[in-house]
Amino acid sequence: MTLPTVDQVFSAERTGQSRDPEPVLAAGRDEHAGLAAYRRGRRRERTRRLGTGALGLAILAATWQLVAVLLHDPVFLPSVSQTAASFAHYFGRPYPAQGQPLWADALTSLRRVLIGFTAGTAIGVALGAAMSASRVVRHLTDPVIEVLRPLPPLAFIPLFIIWLGIGELPKEVLIMIGVIPVMTVTTVASLDAVPEDLRLCARTLGASRWHTMARVQIRAALPGILTGMRISMAGAWTSIVAAELIAASSGLGYLIMQAGDYLNTALVFSGIIAIAVLGLTLDACLRGLLLLADPSRRR
Amino acid sequence: MGKTFRRGGRRTVALAGTSLTVRAGDLVSLLGPSGCGKSTLLRIIAGALPADEGSVTVGGRPVTGPSPDRGMLFQTPMLFGWLTARDNILFGPRAQRAARRHERDDPELDAEAAALLDRVGLAGFGEAFPHELSGGMQHRAAFARALAARPSLLLMDEPFGALDAITRERMHEFLLGLWDQHRITIIFVTHDIEEAIVLGDRVAVMGGRPPGIREIIDVPLDRPRAADSSGDTEAFLTVKRRIRGALRS
Repeated sequence: MTLPTVDQVFSAERTGQSRDPEPVLAAGRDEHAGLAAYRRGRRRERTRRLGTGALGLAILAATWQLVAVLLHDPVFLPSVSQTAASFAHYFGRPYPAQGQPLWADALTSLRRVLIGFTAGTAIGVALGAAMSASRVVRHLTDPVIEVLRPLPPLAFIPLFIIWLGIGELPKEVLIMIGVIPVMTVTTVASLDAVPEDLRLCARTLGASRWHTMARVQIRAALPGILTGMRISMAGAWTSIVAAELIAASSGLGYLIMQAGDYLNTALVFSGIIAIAVLGLTLDACLRGLLLLADPSRRR
Repeated sequence: MGKTFRRGGRRTVALAGTSLTVRAGDLVSLLGPSGCGKSTLLRIIAGALPADEGSVTVGGRPVTGPSPDRGMLFQTPMLFGWLTARDNILFGPRAQRAARRHERDDPELDAEAAALLDRVGLAGFGEAFPHELSGGMQHRAAFARALAARPSLLLMDEPFGALDAITRERMHEFLLGLWDQHRITIIFVTHDIEEAIVLGDRVAVMGGRPPGIREIIDVPLDRPRAADSSGDTEAFLTVKRRIRGALRS
């Protein structure tokens, strides 16, 4: 999976603010139809969009099932039903070569991601805020971040094993290393993008400096920061699974590796699906927060 | 009054020898081409920029920083996108209460928000978010928000520049209506000669090198004025010609 760079996604998000060409509630005509009718229309549109999305997934599953049945080789490509059976079987039972059931591996990976992601986000946002607030901090930190940003976190795995051993800590630090630069850059970009006039506006309405910073500047930057969190969450899953494939004795990456070694392809798919479900769930949580933070995305 | 920007050793004089007196309740247009220091002057009055020479006094008190006494409207409505129209309007009163500048309580605020929404023609749209409003409605919400902070002076920086001609004309009528009711003082920045004449009791023509106010021209026309109805009358054309002359000199 190739992820778009932070800048690409970010510029898309930025320009996205003016992406909507239709003039919402045009004065005169819809002003009488009212807000409630307008929102009902929006909701209908969203339901239709979700329906189309579900159809896309159904088509993918149907194609997979058809190809698998035609090939008739469960080691090369197990069918959807075989994969589902394997998932159900190993969800609560340990795979012989592995030692723990699928749910426990999923929990292990999830815990590593959440710890590394939370710590990385906290550090990245704090660093980004400091860089946005102080020119000295920015000029000092910017080159460091720019050097670190293009490095794949996976290159650090041997180093972390040497420095931190083979426990949980090196895996969490690995995720942090991937999350920090993304969060720093997106935080700086989001805070910088708040127009100076928006702050002046708050001040002329009687808000104190502190009130303006907390309730306007940081608040206005929040959707951008949440978007950064969605990007770095995807990166965190890439990091953790790769680390577990290389150096671990638990987690979904390790399960997939073991299943592959024994040519249990259905279990490989089960592991991949578990990652997809966890990734989608966490992303859905962040998307929910984003919708709360930015009403203009509720459509 | 004067203002010089310094950046990397280079000095740019943004405003020089500028003096303007505005009587309470007046509507003064600041007219000039881009880069003539209109916005700089407005921001100095707002307290967002310090003046290098001279000073600004409003109601006898020197300006040292932004204050809710001097409201501001911008080219874009600058509504807070995460707040509903009602909460945008209540931002000022609530922020002022947080800063203990006044003690209006919640029921009073709710009534005030409802009254303001009604007055700017947004009754029924209090729960709408800014992106759900049309351009004109957003500007009217920004108006209501500025009024809710109870300023005595309203600074307007080309607020209708981005609107289409028809909506802009409606906003002019709307602005003059509110000005009439509230009797606040308004300084209105524009680069549109007709807009400056339609709105202003006086037009301060800006320009030149170094930039500053060139001439202050009275507009002796009866209200209501509109560019299309009074646009052909001799008096309107005379004022327009005088302003043209001042801009060229």
